[in-house]
Amino acid sequence: MQEQPQLHHAPHPHPPVRRPTRWARLRRGWREYRFAYALVLPALVFMVAIHFFPMVQGIWMSFLKLNQFTLAQYLNAPWVGLQNYKDVLFDPGNPVRAGLGIAVRNTVLYSFAVTIGTLAVGMMGALLMNRKFPGQGFARTTLLLPWVVPSYVVGILWGFMWQKDNGVINTLLVDVLHLASDKPFWLIGSNTLWAIIIPTIWRSWPFLMVVFLAGLQTIPEELYEAAKIDGANVLRQFWHITLPLLRPIIAIQLLFQIIANVYSYNIVAMMFGNGAGYPGEWGDLLMTALVRQTFGYWAFGTGSAASFILMLFMLIVVSIWYRAFRKEMMMQ
Amino acid sequence: MNTLTAKRARNLTLNVVTWLFVLVNLFPILWMVWTSIHSNEEILGGVRAMTLDHLQWGNYLQLWQTINYFGYFKNSLLICGATTILSTAFAVMAGYALARFKFPGSNLFGMSVVSTQMIPGILFLVPIYLLFWQIDKNIGLPMINTYWGMILIYTAFYTPMSIWIMRSFFVSVPRDLEESALIDGCTRFQAFRKVILPLSVPGIIATAVYVFLTAWDELMFAWVMTTTSDVQTIPVGIRLYVGQYQNRFDLLMAAAAVSTLPVLLTFFLTQKYFIRGMTAGAVKG
Repeated sequence: MQEQPQLHHAPHPHPPVRRPTRWARLRRGWREYRFAYALVLPALVFMVAIHFFPMVQGIWMSFLKLNQFTLAQYLNAPWVGLQNYKDVLFDPGNPVRAGLGIAVRNTVLYSFAVTIGTLAVGMMGALLMNRKFPGQGFARTTLLLPWVVPSYVVGILWGFMWQKDNGVINTLLVDVLHLASDKPFWLIGSNTLWAIIIPTIWRSWPFLMVVFLAGLQTIPEELYEAAKIDGANVLRQFWHITLPLLRPIIAIQLLFQIIANVYSYNIVAMMFGNGAGYPGEWGDLLMTALVRQTFGYWAFGTGSAASFILMLFMLIVVSIWYRAFRKEMMMQ
Repeated sequence: MNTLTAKRARNLTLNVVTWLFVLVNLFPILWMVWTSIHSNEEILGGVRAMTLDHLQWGNYLQLWQTINYFGYFKNSLLICGATTILSTAFAVMAGYALARFKFPGSNLFGMSVVSTQMIPGILFLVPIYLLFWQIDKNIGLPMINTYWGMILIYTAFYTPMSIWIMRSFFVSVPRDLEESALIDGCTRFQAFRKVILPLSVPGIIATAVYVFLTAWDELMFAWVMTTTSDVQTIPVGIRLYVGQYQNRFDLLMAAAAVSTLPVLLTFFLTQKYFIRGMTAGAVKG
């Protein structure tokens, strides 16, 4: 992103030296960048109207006592200062707070597992697809299909497949493959988190495969040839050539994955409780818990405080990410 | 000779692994379609009861009769279609500006485009809902339960990510093209419209498909902002349906399959462009 290079050089050998006034500089800047500003304007208007303004409003609301009685007062609802934050962080009796600790734990586990799983399976898929084999075209296309399936469908479909007695997964695992003697519960109990993690990975890995595959195809073949001559095996080639060269791509995808998984909602909302979206404490995630309890108890002030805390936490996560990958981002 | 057989064996193993992977990956989708063409008695009877004998294609017909599926479908198409057009147009413009110009505020704008992704949806779900409510109350312009309300929200939502995709694409388009157009006497706008836009078709298609797929998938806002079936989209319709017909897996799977079809078609028709447009930026940065 550099400035457009100057096309015409000043022909005069002794240009008059005069500092332009601030106003003249602004006017020149406006004329020079008028086109760029015009291009950005529509997007900017929408982002201010539906991102910036509501976000500020949401933060404001987190300092108000906003419930079913004060809702009509809108932004003039009684100011309670940090009370909502105290409730969310320190009051175990608060209805919005109930179960939030478990939801945080689940979300951390879920985000870790899904992010790592998606990146790993995506990379594996890309490596497998990056070689020649019979039926390659067909395989490449069908591998992408899960990514196109809407996530609310993913929730219903996998919820159906995870059923204990008649579910196809238990039938395959127990009746066909004999991997266990009893059919396990997937949608209740300690397996619940797996029942959410696996479909999420299934749906998101194909996109990563596409991106990684495009990256793999830019790596010159000579690098691998040279490594082979030096006696490096496949694993070492991957570790010392492929991975470092794909680092910028991996970094960006890692960030988008973390954000998407921490804010994941649809799959859990559709898989449990016939659309009620409550998987019990074994599988409840932050987003489902916050939406359910904020609206369930009309606790909009407390809900806003909780979501603002979540956003601050994500800002910390992203800044850690930025510190780790700053070099890669500079290269771009 | 020995190394050759070893190499062959390895190749064969990798092929088998690849094909197993393809099969396992495809299985849930096949299972959805397979279930959707059986009667509910067979489905409740378990996997073995679902034989080839009495295929029940009628599920797909019954679906349109038991709920207002056509209405949901139409709403989804309208809302997501309009969102796609608007978001993509805005993203083409802003993405180009970010990729080519360094103007006062361009860094801030680029940063805020990415930062919008960090705001949890629920933080502005309630404010937008209340804001829409106030607009209706004070100005008399209905926003909740309207197409334009949903289109407004979705357009604002998917524009930042689209800008990101378009920006990466424009960065991969060589700069000399516009420079020679400028030397030939084109204005900036003409260079953009006549030289760059025709080259950007893959990027534009990729962005449009991305927006359409993502908007088609949106549940949380649609659930809160729409309460009447004349504006509700498919995800909301299906969620209500799951609540009402919890054990009718035949109809549920048929509904799931039908709602996957439009995005599937969109994707297949544009796949070539989509992958090119989506990865141009990822590769060249």
